[in-house]
Amino acid sequence: MLEAQSLSKTYKSDGVDYEALKDVDLSVRRGECIAIVGKSGSGKSTLMHLLACLDAPTNGSVLIDGRDTSAFSERAKNSLRNEKFGFVFQQFFLNGRDTVFENVVLPMRIRGASNAEIKTETNAALTAVGLDDKINKKAKDLSGGEKQRVCIARALVGKPEVIFADEPTGNLDSNTGAAVEELLFDLNHEQGITLVVVTHDADLAGRCDRVIEMKDGRIVADLLKEVTAQ
Amino acid sequence: MKTWDLIRTANRNLFRNKLRTTLTVLAIFVGSFTLTMTNGVGDGMRDYVESQIKNIEGDRVAMVRKKIETPNGPSSGAAVEYKEGSDESDETAIDPNTVLLTQPQIESVVRDIPGIIGVTPRYSIRGEHISVEGSKKYKVELGMLSDGLVAKTETGKSIGGPNQIVLQIGLARALDEKIENLVGKTATVGYKIPDGSIKTVDLTVTGVMTKGFMTNNNSFVSSDVAKRMFEDQSVQAGPNRFLGFTIQMDSSDPTKIEAIKKRLDEKGFEAETVADTQQRTYDAIGIFKTGMNLFAMVALLAASFGIINTLVIAVLERTKEIGLQKALGMGRGKIFAIFSLESVLIGFWGAFLGAVGAIVTGLVANQIFVKFYARSFEGFSLFAFKPISITAIMLLVCGIAFVAGVMPALRASQLNPIESLRYE
Ligand SMILES: Nc1ncnc2c1ncn2[C@@H]1O[C@H](COP(=O)(O)OP(=O)(O)OP(=O)(O)O)[C@@H](O)[C@H]1O
Ligand SMILES: [Mg+2]
Repeated sequence: MLEAQSLSKTYKSDGVDYEALKDVDLSVRRGECIAIVGKSGSGKSTLMHLLACLDAPTNGSVLIDGRDTSAFSERAKNSLRNEKFGFVFQQFFLNGRDTVFENVVLPMRIRGASNAEIKTETNAALTAVGLDDKINKKAKDLSGGEKQRVCIARALVGKPEVIFADEPTGNLDSNTGAAVEELLFDLNHEQGITLVVVTHDADLAGRCDRVIEMKDGRIVADLLKEVTAQ
Repeated sequence: MKTWDLIRTANRNLFRNKLRTTLTVLAIFVGSFTLTMTNGVGDGMRDYVESQIKNIEGDRVAMVRKKIETPNGPSSGAAVEYKEGSDESDETAIDPNTVLLTQPQIESVVRDIPGIIGVTPRYSIRGEHISVEGSKKYKVELGMLSDGLVAKTETGKSIGGPNQIVLQIGLARALDEKIENLVGKTATVGYKIPDGSIKTVDLTVTGVMTKGFMTNNNSFVSSDVAKRMFEDQSVQAGPNRFLGFTIQMDSSDPTKIEAIKKRLDEKGFEAETVADTQQRTYDAIGIFKTGMNLFAMVALLAASFGIINTLVIAVLERTKEIGLQKALGMGRGKIFAIFSLESVLIGFWGAFLGAVGAIVTGLVANQIFVKFYARSFEGFSLFAFKPISITAIMLLVCGIAFVAGVMPALRASQLNPIESLRYE
């Protein structure tokens, strides 16, 4: 469902060009759970951002369900991200002064959903991450693990087809990390949501169907689970 | 996002930083308060003046006088060249060195101008005393009501024929508490003649005039009475000379009046209708009002920089939040709308509170003013607040706030989501 064709991305900062991604080809199938691993600075986040239409590639193209996104209008890309994608970022990006509900509801509000829809969807998402009892708490009063679960609920709330997660367990201790991990895999298995996870965590990567290893902006290994299991 | 959600979001963002929002609103408040006050004073004055200058009417009458030739302006003190008059034997020839005119001169001026159906020289007269059917005598100031002019009255009517007088209200109240009783009675007016004795004339009271600027404290007599008194009082040798005259025209059509004024202008005369006099007063008040409002606008301008500042800081503070919203699919337009709404809301609250504050202050000031000065300025409210002015001020302030918000809102809407999410 997601396809990268000879993607490259060059960042220009202070007049110096830096090629963060070099001629990457990748195809992600629907329902797949894919981990992107690699050293810091190898271009994992860059690849994820391009796949998610958050940024435009310098060269190459990203196809979604066979359609080239470079032809999409700004508006079309916005609604694509809003309706088909869910995001879990490396940082929480929660609004501490708002309630858990208000934080989770954001994608639905952006979409302009009806109040009834917002209510049922948000409740379902919060129940899925086990935070339905904290719905009216201020986000700043939550623990780190709870915050990350709120982020997952926010990624989940609009019934997305793909969830992009950048280091979802990066700043959590191993126990809470494991719980969040569990949550993501459950979504993948039970709801068939395609999962694209950027991670340093070998354990998390190992539980994915497919592991992609990056180095200096290139894919150096693409391992299917069947292969690793042998 | 739905419009209602945008407004709610904007409002919530403002509430997040109560202190900063309050201070910015306060600056707008000051501007809006000042503007409402200055505008209120202007409107109050206009209302009062309007009620005062409307007490003489007449749309087919104009006051005419000779134009004064002072090439360097009236108060320059420069010497004016003496011009030799033309043939002294021609009584209609106009002396270029004076503004005074004789009756034949006046008549020769208007004779060949179509549309002028009558002319009354300006008879200046002085009254001495007045009494009504055996009452006490009071001092009286007299004026002439030119034919075609109508005085507004509290009771009775304006002058409509010979041997009539319409009384000034203060005088009328002294003559009889119930001013209605005076209408139709005979007033005896005394006036001094050059030998020092006092001559009297009996006049019918037609009514009592409404107070107003245009009439000073005069009671008015009809032109025939004025002519008689003037001739009795005149001390000049030779023919009587007048400062100006009044013309009666056959139409109130502005284009026709303009044509007559133009003809008179070509002959060196300026004509002013009642409407012109009123317009001149309105213009003066308009300039005064504009001047006052400009001060308030300066305050608003300063406050609008406060809005810009507040929003620029808000954009910086919320860079990550904006990045997230964009990443989750919010369009530029919506981001722009949220920030614009924030600035318009700041403007709205400042404008609203400023207007309310000004109205309360103004009404209290009016009460105090009435207590101290009511007698000399009857019917005058220091401040007048009209719904239309208040609405206009609110819209203006919201408009200024919107404009102030454009730059920060554009900045916010153009942020790159990835950069914003990386922003530290
Ligand atoms: N906006 C940018 N401007 C300039 N250089 C950038 C920008 N974004 C990323 N880079 C550079 O591109 C390279 C790849 O960045 P990227 O964020 O994809 O790495 P990563 O693999 O996700 O690393 P990490 O594991 O530390 O998150 C890095 O060297 C980074 O410095
Ligand atoms: Mg990264």
